[in-house]
Amino acid sequence: MVDDAAAPTDLDLVRRIKAGDEQALEQMIERYHARVYSLSYGVLRNAEDAEESTQDTFLTLYRKIGTFDESKKFFSWFYRVALNQAYSRARRRRPGTKISIQEHLPRFREDGHLAALDWPDASVAVEDEASARELAARAEEFIGELPRAYRDVIWMADVEEMPAAEIAETLGISIPAFKSRLHRARLHVRQRLAEISRPAARQQAAS
Amino acid sequence: MKKKTRSPSDACRSEDITCKRLVMEALYDFEAGTMPAGERAELERHLAACPPCVRFLDSYRATGKTLRALKPREIPPMLARTVFQFVKARCGKKS
Repeated sequence: MVDDAAAPTDLDLVRRIKAGDEQALEQMIERYHARVYSLSYGVLRNAEDAEESTQDTFLTLYRKIGTFDESKKFFSWFYRVALNQAYSRARRRRPGTKISIQEHLPRFREDGHLAALDWPDASVAVEDEASARELAARAEEFIGELPRAYRDVIWMADVEEMPAAEIAETLGISIPAFKSRLHRARLHVRQRLAEISRPAARQQAAS
Repeated sequence: MKKKTRSPSDACRSEDITCKRLVMEALYDFEAGTMPAGERAELERHLAACPPCVRFLDSYRATGKTLRALKPREIPPMLARTVFQFVKARCGKKS
């Protein structure tokens, strides 16, 4: 039975889990399973893998809870556990085919002006529902191409819509580093979407 | 004063800012609303005179919208229960 009278804090639950309280474990799972699943999906892009990774993450939580430093924020420790678990599974499933973050960035002329209008019409793509779905699927794929440092940031910020401070804390990076990585990652995804939206433009640019 | 060269996107010339600076360095804070007012006004002046940057901004925003659309992902039903049972089984605990 769950008592909703006063929601326990994460730390309350951590201490009770350490003491072997299964109800506390159940409450922790109820509180975090959706976020853990979604973060895992961001790395693995497969529902079955994400579900298994979520299970492993909570198993690790249960086994390693004794190593959690109670002076730290629980969520940041736990999200790192979730991400590590997912990346570990991803390495077993498919060796990464990562590309450099420099590879797909906007192009500028020597004088600093934009080289070309590479996006046909930004508003059209998202008005039509089928196109929007297709575009979203490709965007997910393009996020998957990014090196981990960028991929985690863009998934947590733009898909999960987690607060900047929470993401920076989880990843152990500064706010300026967070901003810089997020912006670079967005530029990458934008550029890749632009490239598939207008392949003829790429051929022209290459010739 | 530096002499400007005429070019197709000369309309977007600005004394202090280029498309590159706007796109690569300033866009995040511009969009996040975390930019000082003076700098923001400068970027807005650039945008008012630079159609390529306006289209770039549109596409940057459209990208954000596309990414946010990935969010309402269906969480498998009964996932919490499955996870709880999984952990209990592995740890040899009994409820």
